[in-house]
Amino acid sequence: MAKTYSAGVKEYRETYWEPDYTVKETDILACFKITPQEGVPREEVAAAVAAESSTGTWTTVWTDLLTDLDYYKGRCYAIEDVPGDDTCFYAFVAYPIDLFEEGSVVNVLTSLVGNVFGFKALRALRLEDIRFPIAYVMTCNGPPQGIQVERDLLNKYGRPLLGCTIKPKLGLSAKNYGRACYEGLRGGLDFTKDDENVNSQPFMRWRHRFDFVMEAIHKAEAETGERKGHYLNVTAPTADEMMRRAEYAKEIGAPIIMHDYLTGGLSANTQLAQWCQNNGMLLHIHRAMHAVLDRNPHHGIHFRVLTKVLRLSGGDHLHSGTVVGKLEGDRDATLGWIDIMRDSFIKEDRTRGIFFDQDWGSMPGVIPVASGGIHVWHMPALVSIFGDDSCLQFGGGTLGHPWGNAAGAAANRVAVEACVEARNQGRELEKEGKDILNAAASHSPELKIAMETWKEIKFEFDTVDKIDVAHK
Amino acid sequence: MARPSTYVGIENDVYGAMTTIGKIIRDAWVFELLPETETCEGWTQGQIDVLLDKVNTEWDKYGCLASHLPEPLRERHQRIHDAAIAKAKAAGWSGEHETIDDK
Repeated sequence: MAKTYSAGVKEYRETYWEPDYTVKETDILACFKITPQEGVPREEVAAAVAAESSTGTWTTVWTDLLTDLDYYKGRCYAIEDVPGDDTCFYAFVAYPIDLFEEGSVVNVLTSLVGNVFGFKALRALRLEDIRFPIAYVMTCNGPPQGIQVERDLLNKYGRPLLGCTIKPKLGLSAKNYGRACYEGLRGGLDFTKDDENVNSQPFMRWRHRFDFVMEAIHKAEAETGERKGHYLNVTAPTADEMMRRAEYAKEIGAPIIMHDYLTGGLSANTQLAQWCQNNGMLLHIHRAMHAVLDRNPHHGIHFRVLTKVLRLSGGDHLHSGTVVGKLEGDRDATLGWIDIMRDSFIKEDRTRGIFFDQDWGSMPGVIPVASGGIHVWHMPALVSIFGDDSCLQFGGGTLGHPWGNAAGAAANRVAVEACVEARNQGRELEKEGKDILNAAASHSPELKIAMETWKEIKFEFDTVDKIDVAHK
Repeated sequence: MARPSTYVGIENDVYGAMTTIGKIIRDAWVFELLPETETCEGWTQGQIDVLLDKVNTEWDKYGCLASHLPEPLRERHQRIHDAAIAKAKAAGWSGEHETIDDK
């Protein structure tokens, strides 16, 4: 006979299930999607999650008298059905703010997504959302500069920013890599970006790359009269080495650097963000490894949580998904976490997967970065969906232009400016996109060729992770 | 398959030569740095790098954009690149290939 779940000495629900609890303004709130083992009552498994993500492991070792359990414990205060899915349910847990170190998203995650995810009463567990109270938000540094300061630093207003990931295509030479950056920036991009896999490998050490890229930036700035940047990837094997690369980027005049916050780690990211804030540097955040955590609808951490964590840890840009194009992304869910990145106050909105009101106070916002699998034909939809405070990154959609990198960049710049102008005139971008782009292409041969290159592409992949109401 | 030590030539390149090196060679034809009969077959990486430097020097005179080229050069650019795009499409290349490894 298979071994069944047993709570041990005392059932969790006796201590950690409090349906009459009134949530405090200072509580950290969490919504978990719980898939229990067969036969375990909902209240018991939800209480177990509250326990094992707060004080549960302490009280089995010490006594209730040695820890002030009533003060420090997490409480499951509500349970709800998941629309369209009877294999799981939502559990809402409140944690007292004093359970966590101030300014440490690391500490919060260590509790909320720590040992509890391996707990035997669960088949699967997903952290769907967290409400960080304003009292906790104010203990965190947040984005180094924020959206308005970035625009002031760049002197660029009223349109989305444009970027492109540079691929080391010709012999992995740092010089040729720098040239590709120059061409993109010269053609009209605001930023180019290191590929996240490019750190400091033997084929192209970081310092060599940084030097050639800065030469490209200076040349493009001198010729265009615009401020330009390249996300110099300072992600490194140790935090000390990361800081060494960041210091050098500052020394040579780079306006922006880049970090992978999940693979690099949240402690390193918070350290880097605080340094950027103190040194007037912008910080672009890549999210490699996020799909490992957020793609399974029943297990892991939803990206809206990872978004909140990044805003608290610190970053000026964060990859958000594209909605349109070939990569994963449910439109409503994406709009939800874009709001979480940029707005000061986000109201609970289940249609966008947002379970709690979130008040960020005066903490600066993060620019969402739409990157991957997009090209000029997507521009009207991208401008409509993301608005001005965004960065649209066309990698293949720039470097793949048959006339070369500068032509690809120019095509995207002409397209974005045409879309913004049309929007400002009150035209409907997603309905009139084709006419708007055709009119712009009549005076831009680079855009005309780009439109001919990509016109036949259709993207028909379905998304794996959708808002729960859409599951069945 | 062994990695080639020299370039296969623009006529034998993948994706109808809609590649980084293919673009360099076509631009070299546009700027008459090479005769249009030169396919660069058998060229080393070093030779390609030297050619790239020369092509870049030419592009720098015009801000890297075809729309900035003076009329004779623009016509020449259009003729050479229109033919290349048609040839690449006939060989199965499309814009979709360019976004395959986008992230």
